[in-house]
Amino acid sequence: MRRAENIKRRVYRWFSSIKTSVYLFALLVVFYFVGTIFPQGADIERYAEAGGRFVEAVRLFGLLDVFHTPLFYLVAVLLLVNLSVCTWDRFQRVRKRAWRESPDVERRLSLALSYRETEELLEEFIKKQRFRLISRDEDTLTAEKGIYYRYLTLLYHAGIVLCFVGFFLTGLFVKEGLLILKQGEPTPIESQMMPEIRGWLAPEEPPRFKIQLDEFRTEYILSRKLNYPEDGLSRLAIALGWQDITYTEEERFYPKDWFSKLRILVNGSTVLEKTIEVNDPLRFEGYTFYQVGFEEKLKLKINDKVFTLSTGRKKNIEELGKTLMFTGFRRGTLFKPDGTVDEIRPFVTLKEVKEDGTGVTLGRLHLGESMEIDGKSLRFEGFEETSILSYRYDPGVTLLWYAGFFVFAVMSLRCLGRWYMLRFRIDEEEGGKTTLTVAIHCRGLMADSQRVSALLNTHLERYVRR
Amino acid sequence: MSVEDVLSRGAHLLTVEVRLLWAVGILYMVAAILSLYGLITATHRSGRMPHAILGFTLILHTGVILLRIFETGRAPFQTLYESLSWFSFTSAVTYLFVSRRWRRVGLPCFFVTLIASCAIFYALLGRSPEAKPLSPPLQSWWFEWHVVVAFSSYAVFVVSSAFEATYLIAKRLLKTRDYALGLAPEELKPFRTMATKLVIFGFPMLTFGIFSGAAWANEAWGRYWGWDPKETWSLITWTVFAMYLHAQSVPRWRENVASTLNLLGFVCMIMTFLGVNWLSKLLGIPSLHAYAV
Repeated sequence: MRRAENIKRRVYRWFSSIKTSVYLFALLVVFYFVGTIFPQGADIERYAEAGGRFVEAVRLFGLLDVFHTPLFYLVAVLLLVNLSVCTWDRFQRVRKRAWRESPDVERRLSLALSYRETEELLEEFIKKQRFRLISRDEDTLTAEKGIYYRYLTLLYHAGIVLCFVGFFLTGLFVKEGLLILKQGEPTPIESQMMPEIRGWLAPEEPPRFKIQLDEFRTEYILSRKLNYPEDGLSRLAIALGWQDITYTEEERFYPKDWFSKLRILVNGSTVLEKTIEVNDPLRFEGYTFYQVGFEEKLKLKINDKVFTLSTGRKKNIEELGKTLMFTGFRRGTLFKPDGTVDEIRPFVTLKEVKEDGTGVTLGRLHLGESMEIDGKSLRFEGFEETSILSYRYDPGVTLLWYAGFFVFAVMSLRCLGRWYMLRFRIDEEEGGKTTLTVAIHCRGLMADSQRVSALLNTHLERYVRR
Repeated sequence: MSVEDVLSRGAHLLTVEVRLLWAVGILYMVAAILSLYGLITATHRSGRMPHAILGFTLILHTGVILLRIFETGRAPFQTLYESLSWFSFTSAVTYLFVSRRWRRVGLPCFFVTLIASCAIFYALLGRSPEAKPLSPPLQSWWFEWHVVVAFSSYAVFVVSSAFEATYLIAKRLLKTRDYALGLAPEELKPFRTMATKLVIFGFPMLTFGIFSGAAWANEAWGRYWGWDPKETWSLITWTVFAMYLHAQSVPRWRENVASTLNLLGFVCMIMTFLGVNWLSKLLGIPSLHAYAV
């Protein structure tokens, strides 16, 4: 029985120790570090094929998915327990004010005043400086100003525990996937390009509503390629005024924004409409839909043969005996540097991919136009654009935001704010004189114990015996 | 104005800006060299000159940053070129502010100005100054808040590590001397307290930086945390500084262990800012934060 008590006490001490927190933090740092060395989420076979090292160790310890290994979860849970036990333990002590702290400033003054007069003078100081009298013993007065810093420390640690709860709620209930939307087609909320990421307790059935893309549009900003040298010496020449920076004639189209006009349908009727863009998602029944990208398929014709291909991918065109790549498809609104706005005539940049993998630009091909390649005609017939959305169902995120900003606010108050505690001990001496011992405690970056000490000096100046 | 005129004016402003930034980098380097000279010669007035040059450089650097804002019409920290300039600026401003009491201690000035000039020269020699429009994910009000606060914490950590390193060196030297690096033995403790205070000041800002980054990622990409290398390294930095602050409450760790953790935190911060891009490239790990390169 006694042994069990002993073990219990030891476990409690271990979990309530700050040293334990530091050790657990150090372990987490090791996991984080490993997570940035090995490509997370990569396939082990591909990793080995690509010349990855320590394949057996990587397989054994799950280093390609280190943040989902039981060992990582164990350390995270231990830290959560440590955090909770520490918070509870400190709460018990803070409640009883069972801390012995050495003061930042301690002074002893001999005053030409009686005990009662000294006490009155100190009470006057406490009132004038807006301190709160928190205790009065036989010969000791204790006053405080600001929120006791240990309460703040406790509060933000409790906030971090709440953040952990938010993470766990995410882990349990999250649903996440990608949707490819074609214009005018109602689409159920089922992940398309990747398997749906689902928490342990996430609902299996898709939601009752569907989503439809009404319109997709893109906007670009026109600029030109900067003529800026690559080598250091030429850059130095610019610094010395021997050369100037200029723009070349090569046009650049920088994406300004892309928009999807969406509609939520329940049993075929529209219940919500919104045009979304990056950083402005659509929210409905706990689901959030984000604009993550878009994709286009080009319809091309070579000598009466029509074929479709995606942009940005190499394709061996047998009819031409060449490997081609179509990049930089542009359509939509163009914002020019002179402030004017134009509509872009849809075009794509055509590149020939050589055997050594290098690309040679053949030119721009506009919609409805043809290009002659080795005597054969390549015509840009049309295109089909799809909007790519990610969707997420995450009941943990709201708690996480509230807890996170609570942590930040209270932590800032704890670090930057001011807390003072003054402890006066009055010892009566012979001849109606007293010795005053002052202990000044302070915390927070704005707190200044020397200033309080100086204020006290000024207040008592007339009565101090030199 | 025609497109040609606008671009020509832009190129001219960019040329002026790049030349001014060269001057800023050189002046930071001069301040670093003068600090080093002061350390070697140990003259009483050695701290004044580097600080005066640093003050002047900061005025010039403010001009360069304002010019950049005028050119681009947005906050000047989208590309790595801009971020490096902003990083050196905030580090130097923070140092100048906190060093008022310690002007005669030249070593932190040397560290900070050396880091600032290295950042500027890396921006000028290694990156392109091209002013690109904000990409769609960056068009958010989080952009300014997240970057300003995160970089302010970086600046504070740079200065803190400079103070911590100086403290460690001075502590060792003071074992055999009465005065070292501009510090007397009784000044060591308050000098070190400054390093701790800076971390206490920077830590909530880094916390906000991480939370605001997560909130922004949630709005832009639909996921608040993706274990992206940049995110993970920022968490490493946060954890190391959390270790530092916790080590301060363990009497046996308050000295050397805490100092080591502060310096380690600085290394992690540099990894978060610059090293992670290099690491991602080296190991072929994709990063959603590649736009910062």
